[in-house]
Amino acid sequence: MTHPAPLSAAATAVFQRDPAHVMRLARMGAGHPTRLSFLRVLLRRIETEGWLCDRPVWQVDDKGVGHAVYRVQGPGCCYSLVAFAHDLPDEMRSDRVIATAWDATFALFDGDPTAADIERLRQNVPYQEAGRITSNELTLARANRSVRLFAHVVEALSQGRQPDAAEMDSVGYLMRTTAVYGSGKFGAADRACIAARPELTGPFQVEMLTVWLIRAFTADIVEHMARVKGGDRAVRLNADMRRDLGVGNSTGLGMAPFVVRHPILLNNWTAAREEALARVRSQAAATPQSIAALHHALHAAILNAAAWHSEHPVQTPRLADLRRDLAQIAATLPGWDWATPTPWDALWRWGEAHLSTEGQEVLLSLVLEPHGALIDDLADTMGADEDVSFRLNGAMPVADLRAILQEHYAWALEIDFDLPEATARFWYVSEEKLEPRLGERAQEDGSLLEQPLGIARLASLLGKTLEGMDGDLPVATVLLEHPEHRLMVRRAQMAAHHPYAEIRDNLIGADMLPIDMMRCKLAFFGANRFDPRSDRWIRISLFQGAVFPDEIAPGPRA
Amino acid sequence: MTHSAGDQTRGDSSAFFTGDHSAQMSQNEVFALCMKAARGAGMSWGMADEAGFAASWLTARGLDGPRHLLAQLTAMQGRAWGDLCPTIAPGKWSAATGKTICPVVLGATLSDHAILPGGLASGAILTGPVDFPILLCPFLSGIAAATGQIAVLEWTDGHVEIDANGATPVAAVSALEGQTGVKLRVSLRPGTGPAHSPLPAPAIGAQTVAALNAFALRTTVPASDASRAGAGAASNDNE
Repeated sequence: MTHPAPLSAAATAVFQRDPAHVMRLARMGAGHPTRLSFLRVLLRRIETEGWLCDRPVWQVDDKGVGHAVYRVQGPGCCYSLVAFAHDLPDEMRSDRVIATAWDATFALFDGDPTAADIERLRQNVPYQEAGRITSNELTLARANRSVRLFAHVVEALSQGRQPDAAEMDSVGYLMRTTAVYGSGKFGAADRACIAARPELTGPFQVEMLTVWLIRAFTADIVEHMARVKGGDRAVRLNADMRRDLGVGNSTGLGMAPFVVRHPILLNNWTAAREEALARVRSQAAATPQSIAALHHALHAAILNAAAWHSEHPVQTPRLADLRRDLAQIAATLPGWDWATPTPWDALWRWGEAHLSTEGQEVLLSLVLEPHGALIDDLADTMGADEDVSFRLNGAMPVADLRAILQEHYAWALEIDFDLPEATARFWYVSEEKLEPRLGERAQEDGSLLEQPLGIARLASLLGKTLEGMDGDLPVATVLLEHPEHRLMVRRAQMAAHHPYAEIRDNLIGADMLPIDMMRCKLAFFGANRFDPRSDRWIRISLFQGAVFPDEIAPGPRA
Repeated sequence: MTHSAGDQTRGDSSAFFTGDHSAQMSQNEVFALCMKAARGAGMSWGMADEAGFAASWLTARGLDGPRHLLAQLTAMQGRAWGDLCPTIAPGKWSAATGKTICPVVLGATLSDHAILPGGLASGAILTGPVDFPILLCPFLSGIAAATGQIAVLEWTDGHVEIDANGATPVAAVSALEGQTGVKLRVSLRPGTGPAHSPLPAPAIGAQTVAALNAFALRTTVPASDASRAGAGAASNDNE
């Protein structure tokens, strides 16, 4: 497939969406995975470069207890998932971050582990937070079985038959990860130590690699248990059924603050996606191949939406919107006039006029899909060296800082924080479990210990402090008087060069939905089947439909 | 309430060390623990970020950043913001009468003022007394990087030169270990330092981690029934 050369950023600027439109929480909470999502970026690299994937160790006993090693080798790199399988009593199974035991625990080792490395990990990894890993490890993770589906699949395979398709569809995974820790947690290698490696430059690549290899383990362990039970009668999962398995993930409030605490990352993820959309919209014409690929992507999205279940009162109407909008797209596409100038832009504008927020965001994902050659390079722009922006510009005059607030935080300055509903919530960390939580300011104690996530109010307070000040005064002087504004001044200076850095909604307002923050992040990961279980925790699936390590053809693709 | 160091039911990602045990910590862990501790010790969130930065910068250069920051946080307990700050006059940044300047506040303020009149780029600065001046080095490195110069830190019986990468010689900073209440002369000179090879990260002691965790715990809210109810999965996880 050939594409015209990508246009310059200036040429696509006219097709860029306004950050004021893109960065609203309700829209971010309607995000869908795209081909720039982190797990797609990882799989593209592995398939294109033809990584050698194998399982050099499988030492699991008849009770399902033991360890295995999953190894991947790309050009100049080697990583190994060391998996520990446990025999967990049902009463100890909890998805909460505060659980103490799991069905399986994992570490991603940097290289090929020796027996001594594995022994060291065996002394630590099963204990998770209570153990220590080292800079030889890149991630620490754990997973629990979906008890019902796991038992069903073991039973079926042990009797020589494939599991029931409806059962498989209704759950979609054999195990849920309940935490995947990277970035130096518990002694692991710092991101700064590995970020220069080409395969790890993009965000969350070691975490995605970990989960992809965990998925292989979940299929292997279920087949192992079926063999133990059924002996010679047992069969393996057929390839199609195995492909439909994802890895489940339970995510609570702990994930939500990330997108607030990492404004430059949020900007870079969003800017890449928005530039991709602008490039597609700016295409003068559509090739027959890209139109066919769009139909193919739409078909897959319709199947995905049909299999996507949720009983949550927020998600149920959104799912209805999504299915209705997908049907509308399917009804409209066959008659679409692709001969019109900039036909992709025309399609996009039609979507903005006719589709719900869910529908528009899924359309974004669909129109990116046929355009890999045009947009995949943008994946290289999604990482960020946050240290570069850490140092404040103390020489900035107050007038310039005020101008930044006016340009990038007008949405926040407009909020009346004297109204109780504008400050109805507060984010805090619980002393008992040290996990992030969201409190009701009027009913709960602790708001004096609020975390600095209510950016809109911080911007508003900074704006009030700056009112009436001499515009020539340097920020350094203001900060010596007002150290409480230091965090917000740093953010504002970042936002001046990163238009997608801020969620443009009041994150302590009465109507704020934390699951929107989570879904935004999870869509960038590449997650689908978002299934909120309350307004503050969510289940998703990763890698459903994706290739398995033993299906990767070794060697670079032509 | 009490916390046992090995309590796995806590959703914390900071290190659990017990007894006299010590272990290497990643930069991320040092930053996160020290930032939270600094906030718990009374710094604003933005200044606490500077404290986390300073501790992790030192740790990356083979020094026990957490221990030095802990000494500072302990020393500044009960002191008002104004007593920690320098009073800025050209060439002389003074401590409040009878007080000592916080090195994190001084470092951040020197960085903010670097290219302003009265800042380091316009001439040498006499300052002090400064608590635990080893914590000033990370900020001087940042200023050296931003101005393309070498920062020179002098005291009665020693000096150290710091560039964008760190101190030359690398071990020179350690001469400041344990020193506090020090009068300093800080200046910039043209030039760039040699490349440094990284030093191994030091092992951080359990007592340091425990004391910093105690400060960090001051940023947390005691549990209530309402907070427990909203924390996460209420349904059975065995489905």
